[in-house]
Amino acid sequence: MRFELLAEYELSQIHEASLKVLETIGIHTTSERFKKLLLDNGCKEEKGRILFPRHVISNALKTVPREFKLYGRNNSPVLEIGKEKAYCQTCVGTPSMMDLETGEKRDATVKDLEEYTRLADSLEFINIISPIFPRDVPQEIILTFETATLLRNTSKPLSICIESSRELPYILELLALAAGGKEALREKPIAMLPVSPLSPLEYGYDPAEALIDVVEAGLPLGVEPCPMMGSTAPMTVAGIAVQHNAEILAGVIASQLIKPGALVTMSSRATFMEMRSGVGLWAMPEMGLAGAVMNQLAKFYGIPSAPGGFCGASKIADSQSGYEHLYNALMEALIGSDIIGSAGSLDNALTSCYAMLVIDNELSSVVQRTIKGVEVTEEKLAVNVIAEVIETQSNFLEHKHTRKHLRAGELWVPSLGDRQTYEKWADKGERIEDKARRIAKELISNHPGLTTSAEVDAQFERVLERARKTEIGS
Amino acid sequence: MANEELLKNITEAVVEGEPELVVELTETAISEGIEPIMILNEALTKGITIVGDYFGSGHYYLPDLLLGAKAMDAGVKKLEPLLVGTVREFYGKVLMGTVQGDLHEIGKNIVGMMLKTSGFEVIDLGTDVPASKFVEKVKELKPDILGISALLTTTIGRQKEIIELLLEEGLRDQVKVIIGGAPINGAWADKIGADGYAEDALSSVVIAKKLVGRA
Repeated sequence: MRFELLAEYELSQIHEASLKVLETIGIHTTSERFKKLLLDNGCKEEKGRILFPRHVISNALKTVPREFKLYGRNNSPVLEIGKEKAYCQTCVGTPSMMDLETGEKRDATVKDLEEYTRLADSLEFINIISPIFPRDVPQEIILTFETATLLRNTSKPLSICIESSRELPYILELLALAAGGKEALREKPIAMLPVSPLSPLEYGYDPAEALIDVVEAGLPLGVEPCPMMGSTAPMTVAGIAVQHNAEILAGVIASQLIKPGALVTMSSRATFMEMRSGVGLWAMPEMGLAGAVMNQLAKFYGIPSAPGGFCGASKIADSQSGYEHLYNALMEALIGSDIIGSAGSLDNALTSCYAMLVIDNELSSVVQRTIKGVEVTEEKLAVNVIAEVIETQSNFLEHKHTRKHLRAGELWVPSLGDRQTYEKWADKGERIEDKARRIAKELISNHPGLTTSAEVDAQFERVLERARKTEIGS
Repeated sequence: MANEELLKNITEAVVEGEPELVVELTETAISEGIEPIMILNEALTKGITIVGDYFGSGHYYLPDLLLGAKAMDAGVKKLEPLLVGTVREFYGKVLMGTVQGDLHEIGKNIVGMMLKTSGFEVIDLGTDVPASKFVEKVKELKPDILGISALLTTTIGRQKEIIELLLEEGLRDQVKVIIGGAPINGAWADKIGADGYAEDALSSVVIAKKLVGRA
């Protein structure tokens, strides 16, 4: 598949504009460590901002790995990040949940985190799992708690957004326990750890410190600011791409200054705003368009990309959320995307929904099928087959070529969408949202359960206990 | 230019959201000897009211509103030295800020501008504001409304902390508390004992007016 949104000269205009932003506007940080790192490695300080000279940028970009592997446990497939496979990742940090029984929106709970993780674990085309944010957990240890819960309920690779360094030691400890030691974790990372600096161009204390600590721990980093067109970034798609690229590159460069060859993804989240209410939109088409531009830039640099894409403004799992998610994810995948995030989300990534995750699994399946493209070989061109059918006045249905390629998977098979005759469908008249909800319930109740051994589980408990004592003192 | 026409042009420049033009015309008006209070009431305030109406009726968007407010502010700044001693009428005083550990401010700033253009006096403490500072400023400035903003799922707990601190300090009944931020909802506002929550910028004004008895 070879798609491009921008022509080469347009792409290099954006690239040049981003370099100009880094060279002349730079970033601001309140982390002394982060500042020192940049200044010690050739950046300049001017009027309180850190500027990136061109040679610092180009040298750092040379050492970024084009590819790396992300591992699951218990024979879960190995993900090849950097090969543009459009792995689907669940949405991180949603504080709200659509109730599986009532369909009503409410606060996310620990039970949701467990069941939603098990659901994601069971869905074939959901490849990476991020935590929702339950409200009934002590918020001081929420990331530690989430990490343990994810590891207990899925064997798939994880993505855990690190909002501050405070809980990072516990998270690393849990990951190492699950991976079979610190060394094993570094060799075969089972999680990537994004950080989210602020737009425009602000590396606040918490994300800046977390960035350094994640890289030093040797785990894959994601640089994931979330600008909004017309409020925290320029109003134009080209303008948000320039700024977003610059603020992501600043983090990418920092990662290479800490450790040349550090694993990192450009995790764009180019959102926009409803210009009357001020609501932040993760909708279409701008998010998909800007995400596609960002992916094209990432490809240009040879850095893995991980935009948000399975997202939209719809409040429920319905046709709107279906077309929004498919539009954004497919746009990004067609240009070339390693990971596409936000799966299962509704309401601009503020709510997670069991039914939507089942629908996004279907969308992910068709997106991943689409980017495999169309194979053109002598065998597939089938000129002989056409000739035979015509000569024998037969049809293709009874030809072996048909059977062969049917068996080989030429046709995509939906796991959710309905393809029955009208009469068969009308028998139950089940809507796709209801079917998705039914499948979600079945998958959750059929999940095999704990994905950690009793021994590791007991060790987790001790880490959680210590985190509780240290961070909340009870 | 006749005085009346000059005032009309200032009004128009506010409606069009042209700060530089407002400054220029306001300076002319001052030098023409028009009463500063008249420039404020008959031109600037009139302009921002029209901006508010246009926004309310749906043909103006947030950038129009913010630029209108900016234009008005630019004019007011020119008048302020001349207005010493005159008391401006406000619906009430709003103190606002983003909680500690959170640097997100765009939503807060929009609400601040909305309230300003709707006739509130707004004092913004900025971002990453510790609970103690919110409380100290409530004591010092005696606002009618305290607005607490938080965006991160991990920082919204700070809103609760601030309300609890107000209670401890015996200040809770002296100020109305409104909360905001993308992950915030009405249930959370009820749970932590806030007086109001607005799901978007426009409804923040409705709620603020209601809380000061001006709805």
